[in-house]
This record gives sequence, structure tokens and C-alpha cells, in this order.
Amino acid sequence: MSAEEWEIVWFTAWVSALSTVVILPFGLAVAWLLARHQWPGKSIIETLISLPLVMPPVATGLILLKMFGRRGAIGGFLHDTLNLDIVFTWRGVLIALGVMSFPLLVRSARVAFEEINPRLEQIARTMGAGEVRVFFTITAPLALRGILGGMILSFARALGEFGATIMVAGNIPGQTSTLSLSIFQSVQLGQDAYAFRLLGVSTVLAFIAVWTSEWLMRQRKGSK
Amino acid sequence: MADAPKEGVEVSLLLNNISFPLADFTLEVNVEIRSPITVIFGPSGSGKTSLLDLVAGLRRADSAFIQLGDEILTDTGKDVFVPARRRGIGYVPQDLALFPHLSVRQNLLYGHRPNGNKRFTFDHIVELLEIQPLVHRGVTRLSGGEKQRVALARALLTSPRLLLLDEPLANLDMQLKTRILPYLARVRDEFRVPILYVTHDRFETLSLADEMVALIKGKVAQIGPVQEVFSRPASLDVAGILTVETILPGRIIQTADDLVTVAVGNTMLAAVEPNLPPGTNDVHVCVRADDVILLKGADTPSSPRNHLPSSVRSVTREGTLMRVELDCGFRLAALLTRQACEELALKPGDRVVALVKAPNIHLIPR
Repeated sequence: MSAEEWEIVWFTAWVSALSTVVILPFGLAVAWLLARHQWPGKSIIETLISLPLVMPPVATGLILLKMFGRRGAIGGFLHDTLNLDIVFTWRGVLIALGVMSFPLLVRSARVAFEEINPRLEQIARTMGAGEVRVFFTITAPLALRGILGGMILSFARALGEFGATIMVAGNIPGQTSTLSLSIFQSVQLGQDAYAFRLLGVSTVLAFIAVWTSEWLMRQRKGSK
Repeated sequence: MADAPKEGVEVSLLLNNISFPLADFTLEVNVEIRSPITVIFGPSGSGKTSLLDLVAGLRRADSAFIQLGDEILTDTGKDVFVPARRRGIGYVPQDLALFPHLSVRQNLLYGHRPNGNKRFTFDHIVELLEIQPLVHRGVTRLSGGEKQRVALARALLTSPRLLLLDEPLANLDMQLKTRILPYLARVRDEFRVPILYVTHDRFETLSLADEMVALIKGKVAQIGPVQEVFSRPASLDVAGILTVETILPGRIIQTADDLVTVAVGNTMLAAVEPNLPPGTNDVHVCVRADDVILLKGADTPSSPRNHLPSSVRSVTREGTLMRVELDCGFRLAALLTRQACEELALKPGDRVVALVKAPNIHLIPR
């Protein structure tokens, strides 16, 4: 594989990993709120978060493009105040991947939180622990496998993301080219050998991710 | 431990105007608790656990005034609600809630608050409850009785001002129960922490508690010293939940001083019931099985007023005791030790005389 191909693989892997890390605190917070609390508008938020799972990724990408473009609400603000451009940069890739994989993280983490006996958290409180301590010493450790499983799923989803990414970030070689974008482009240009090499890499990455996630799930069942 | 003071619990617990809607009824409680161990006695689903949750601050009632010693923990009227973590109340829930991902030691130390009081030190509590050999194990590898002691120790290590125990022995068999009970008695005598003890077990209640609150469908049906509630249930409902074994319809024939003669079918019974409302005719006659004495062979004069010739219907084991069902014109249950049962060589069909002292026959107006 050429240096250019390695660069694509490397970029895809780290931007996927970064998006997973960036959405982690938000995903856990939302999952915890959904699992442990009743609040007005809960079902609306639940639905909104899951929308990217079922909407055409290109449509989600279009919404992001309009929001984060220079004339969009968020994009305009970031451009004017921080001189930060999102669309057609690696940051656009990051946002597209994050939004697309967010529901997978929230779902896994939520199930993991719901499986925890609420009595454990309550009794920890009677022993003097505040909410933060309860979360980090009881809730998070007990949900750890579910959270890790969710992170792996999110990462795997991010690795293969295509539709939203191409809308928000385009396919700029050396800047926003991810594995999927490059495979599509090389097939379009008739560079089949190139496409197959990237295909091989994607398969290996996906296999490792899914296998690890399955392994974690088996561990969880085994520990009960 | 026997010489440790049993009285002198330092704090009292006031539960006033509690109103908390549950699925089928509203929990309504108004009691003051002062004794070292108070049992909240009631059938499943009578709101016992909800009451503990309110005291612990894990749930909020529509209306409640809860005061522990000098401190007001909940006062819905003034919007006072001390969060669970600041209440200083140790809670051992029915499922114990040991943290499965932590070792016994980590569980024990989770809420440990060394407060200078040497009764609540780690070493002392671990020694008292004999959990030294378990300290380095994972909690998932403990037996039922071991888990129970660890959960109790963990709650004690927070130096609680009040201890809430929710059916602590419910999941243990009779043999294990009798082994854990002394630990609970030690805790009662050693730490002088008032204990609210939820159970629907007579044996535990009689072994440990001083006072009891009978809770039926969210309402306090009776409160008082354990012996008094057991021997004088205030209502048929209370007698029912206390599983007073024999409850029969009877009619009062004659009252002379405190001695009441009551007819059950064709059998006359003598009862002592000074507090019967005047003019009462129809009553429920309550006899507890362990107040029934059995005599085999010829009936000889003896102090109990009631001598009932009976035949044995069945003999079954009940925990450490034997339960003998009798027919003496009506059905009567007796609880004997196994030794007594063997000495009398009781078997179905045997003729015996059942003796019951008049003060042990309790009448509830119906």
C-alpha cells in the first residue's frame, strides 16, 4: 500500500476514534438521563437522537451542512467569533461521524445503565456519596462493558460513514478523504485495484471492531 | 455483651402526618419511635419498604414530617428535605445491594466515616460480626448468611444515627436465621443505634424487638410492646397478620369479674379479658399455637382453666418446632418442641387433652 493509502486509513481511524471520544461525555449524560429520570419532552429527545439511525445519511448531512455552513446558525457564529470553519474541513468529518454514531452509543449505554439495580445507587447515597461519586464509583463501573460496547459500535459506524460525511466535508484528498469516500471515488475513476486494497483494510478494521464488541458482550453475560 | 445497656437509645424518631400514595392504597403513618428495636410488622405489600425509603430520604412523600433526634429530616410543610447522603441513616435493603464489582473490604469502606467513636471502628465491627476471613473476597462469592453480615457491617461503618433493616433474614432458611439472629442482638446491644426492623416473621419479632408497629395496607393498625400486641391484637386484621393460629367465632355466655365464659360451638372456654366493651356478645376467640399445652393420658387437675379433650389430626414440622393440629370440637393448633413431640409419641388419631390458660385466650369483639 502506498503512503497516500496509509494516510487515508490513518485519518479515518483517528477521526473515528476522536469522534467517539468527543461524543462520549454527552452520550453518557443523555443515556443516564434517559435511563434514570423522567422529564418533560423525554420522548421527543429520545426520538430526535435516534433519527440519524433511520434517516437517509445524506439528509442528515444536508441538515448539518446548513447548520454548520458559514451562513448557517452555528457555522456562522463559529466563523465570526473563532474564525473556525467546519464545512469541508476535517472538523466537518468529525461532526458528521459524531452525529451519525451518537445514537448507537446512547442506546448501548442506556441499556447498560438500566440493567443496574437502582438500589445500588440509592444505598450508595445513604452511605454519604454524592451524585458524582455514585456515578463514577457505582454506575459507570457496572455499566462499563455496555459503555465500551457502545463505543466500539460508534467507532465502527464512524469508520464506514459515507453519506453525511460527503455532504458536510466533501472528499478533499489529504484533508477529508476517509476510507469510504476514497473507495467510492476510486471505483468511479476505474481504479479497482486501489479500491480493493482499501476494501481489504475496511474489512479487517470492521472485523476487529465487531469481534471485540461481541467478546465484551460475552464477558458481560459470563459475569452474571 | 449481656451487660451492655439495652435502654438509653440516644435518639427518637418521629414520623408525623406521612401520606404517600402507593399503587393500591395510601401509606399513612403517625408514630413516634423510641425503643432500641422497633419492628414494622405487616404482610407483603403493606408499604413497609416504602416507609423505610421515606425515612432514608430515597423517596419523597406528598406530606411528611420526619424528625430524628433534634434534626428535622423532612418537613413538606416548610419544604425541608435533607438528601439521603446527609441523613446519617444506615439502610440494609432486602436485596442487600452489595456492590458486586467491589471486594468485601471495598464495600465495607465505601461509606466508612471514622467519627472518633471507637464502637464504629472497622476492626471492632469486623470482629463483632466475624467477617475477618471474608474481607478480601469478592462479594459475589459469599454465602447468604455472609452477605447478610457484610451488608450489616457496611451500614454500621457509616456510624449511622438510625439503622433501617428491611427483612434482613427473609431469604435465609430457619437454621441460618437462628445463626444470624445473635449478631443482630449484638448490634442492638453494642451500638445503641435505634433500629427500624421490617419483617413479617413472628420468630424474629419475638426474638429481637421491644416495640412493634403493625402496618396493614399502609395504615398503622396497632403499636405497642411486642408481647402486648401479640397477646392482645387490637383487631381481627392484626390477629390475622400475626398469624394467631386459631381464630374462632364465639359467643359470650357469662362475665364474672374479669373471667369471661365464651362458647365456641358446644365447647365452653374461659378467658380473661378485662377490656371488653360492655354489652359485647359476639367475639373472635384467638389462641396462639405456642400457648397450647398438650397432655397425654388421664386428665388430671391443673391450673389452666381450659381442658379440651381432643384428637390429633396431623403432626408437621415447622422450623425448629412441631405443629400439631387438633380436633376438639373445633380446630386448634399447637406448637411443641420436637423433643416434647417425641416424648409424647404423638401421631394422628391419638387422644390428648389440650390445656390453655384463661389469660391466653384473647377475645376481639366482632
